[in-house]
Amino acid sequence: MNISSYIYGTSFYHKLDVRPKLIFTALFSLMSFIVSSYAGIAIVFVLPIVLMLFAVGLGETWRCYSRIIPLFLIMLLFTPLQERDGTPILFAFGTVLATSEGLENVLRIISRLGGVSGILMLLLLTERNENIIKGFRFFHFPYNAALAASMILRFIPYLGYLFGEIRDSMSLRLEEGKRGYPVLPSITALIIAAVKMVPDTASALEERGFGRVKVQPVHMKKPKGYFIQCAVCIIIPLSLFFVR
Amino acid sequence: MHCFPAHMISADISFSYNDEKEIFSSFSLSVACGEHILLIAPPESGKTTLARIVTGSVPKYRSGKLEGAVSVSGVDLLSFDIPERMKLVGRVSQNTDEMLLFSSVEEEIAFPLGNLGLGREEIEKRIETSLSLFGMEHYRKVSTSELSGGEKRRLMLSILFAVDPDIYILDEAFDELSPFWREKLARIIKKIGRTVIVLGSHMLAEYDGVFSRILTIGNGKAMPYVHHPVTFLALTLKTGHSTLSVENLLIERSHRSAGDLKAFELSVESFSLRAGECVTLLGDNGSGKSSFSRVLAGLLKEKSGSIMLDGIPLSQKERRKKVALLMQNPFEELFLPTVIDELESTGATQDAIEDTLRLFALKRDAYVQELSYGKAKMLQAAIFYLLDRSFAIFDEMDSALTSSEFTKAAKAFLDKGTALLVITHDKEVASSLPGRKLMIKGGEMHEYK
Repeated sequence: MNISSYIYGTSFYHKLDVRPKLIFTALFSLMSFIVSSYAGIAIVFVLPIVLMLFAVGLGETWRCYSRIIPLFLIMLLFTPLQERDGTPILFAFGTVLATSEGLENVLRIISRLGGVSGILMLLLLTERNENIIKGFRFFHFPYNAALAASMILRFIPYLGYLFGEIRDSMSLRLEEGKRGYPVLPSITALIIAAVKMVPDTASALEERGFGRVKVQPVHMKKPKGYFIQCAVCIIIPLSLFFVR
Repeated sequence: MHCFPAHMISADISFSYNDEKEIFSSFSLSVACGEHILLIAPPESGKTTLARIVTGSVPKYRSGKLEGAVSVSGVDLLSFDIPERMKLVGRVSQNTDEMLLFSSVEEEIAFPLGNLGLGREEIEKRIETSLSLFGMEHYRKVSTSELSGGEKRRLMLSILFAVDPDIYILDEAFDELSPFWREKLARIIKKIGRTVIVLGSHMLAEYDGVFSRILTIGNGKAMPYVHHPVTFLALTLKTGHSTLSVENLLIERSHRSAGDLKAFELSVESFSLRAGECVTLLGDNGSGKSSFSRVLAGLLKEKSGSIMLDGIPLSQKERRKKVALLMQNPFEELFLPTVIDELESTGATQDAIEDTLRLFALKRDAYVQELSYGKAKMLQAAIFYLLDRSFAIFDEMDSALTSSEFTKAAKAFLDKGTALLVITHDKEVASSLPGRKLMIKGGEMHEYK
């Protein structure tokens, strides 16, 4: 398993201390579940993209989001666009294909998935794993929980990365004249690979001595402007409450 | 000698995976403190399983039926708590990707050292020493995903030497290392006052004079290894007309995770591969061999230059359908549940699939994730054999395979008239292959004489 995604940089998001960054990530993810207005849905989806563009540039932003597009497709497959009692907005051959409530539902789900994935990817792109663990431990997470949390955070981007590998591998097997890649076998392969990752990771952790109880205490200095950083990282996500 | 004389490791085990196939049957092995042994056996003989049993990950994380125990100084290894067991035994895994967990080289080494309860100063010292031992000091802040296969192997060695357990298990650790690093690793093992067990699929020149005993596995038991001189199958080349060529190619890859490290560049003024030809490509770890092969196969975009088929430029997507790339780590391109699923994904006829199963000695219903590394390489070869591409790249295909298996795969492709670009670190394999030899050195590709 390879879950590395940190990119060196000097953007404002790179410079932000890991603790306010963790607060921002957690609050933003939480608030994304309470918004349901179109404006709120749009902000939840767009804000991480804008921040990512400033932090790592267009190419990397596209690379990250293109990897989670298959996950959006999976969401679409399992979320109906029409609701029985909804207001019809799209017909074909006398059948209702979409209702406004169904569309809103789909957009809300995609926005949450995109928003939460985006803000997590942004954290991982701009912060090293060891700092994330230190940040969690500053908030009194036990060491093992901090390590587990930092690894779980990488799970969604890792699935995207894995899907990219599978897609590349499948594309090398395409016959002449054919384009794209087989979606269903690729998704099956993704699920198998994700399941296999669990024992591999557990085994790798154990062989490196994971499980030790006595760990070094964490000392983190507060940088200049630390409290302003914290205030901004609390106010911005909480302001989503006004467009919920 | 640092370890206690009583720290003798002994295994008396029988083991089978859930498919009932017995891997070890009353397997018995004792290794004295400070002894260096080499265990040479073909793929699927149980080398990696043995390494995993010794470190405790089998049957705990890969279920199977284990009878008996591996003991150190007469005490069952599994009875030690995890950090204590790590002090006693450590391994370099054959598949490095399954062992890498963090976002930088430094974190990978610091994690086990922290679990040993070492202080910051000692951790710092060990990180510096082990990284410089394997020439990885410049990669300290680099993400592990940006390392080449050989560099990942050197990182795994750095981790093991930083932890410095009593017993070192090196599972195919010489493979994927360039001759320079193979020789250096052999020299380090010779000097080290630790018990070292090296597992390998084929004899390497660098093993000379390093080990006190050489063993093999036969019928699930450990037995003395009898060396037979390697006889490579005669490989004959066919002449074809199609030519894959490269002009003024420039490949650039930056280490995005570290700001102060110079971007890697490879410049190829001219390269050609004619149908039926075999070309061998040599070069140090991280010199750009795999990046070059990924560009040829259309998985990586070049910075500038052109790649042409019979003089007509090929787009990145078009290259994917012309060039077969057998990646260094076979599990990077095997994702379907069983062998037969993988082979059927090529769209080949059932007759062709049956012939290929026989040719590459594969079991149709075997689960891909349970294949050994070597067998996974044979499956990878079988898939691209069925796809019948005009050009194929074997990226360190010879590692983890016996010489006869490697030449069998190469012969199958060459007999079809496929042009073969073979990337290898093994001098013996390189000299046994017909055709031109190329070398990447200092960011440029040259003829190698």
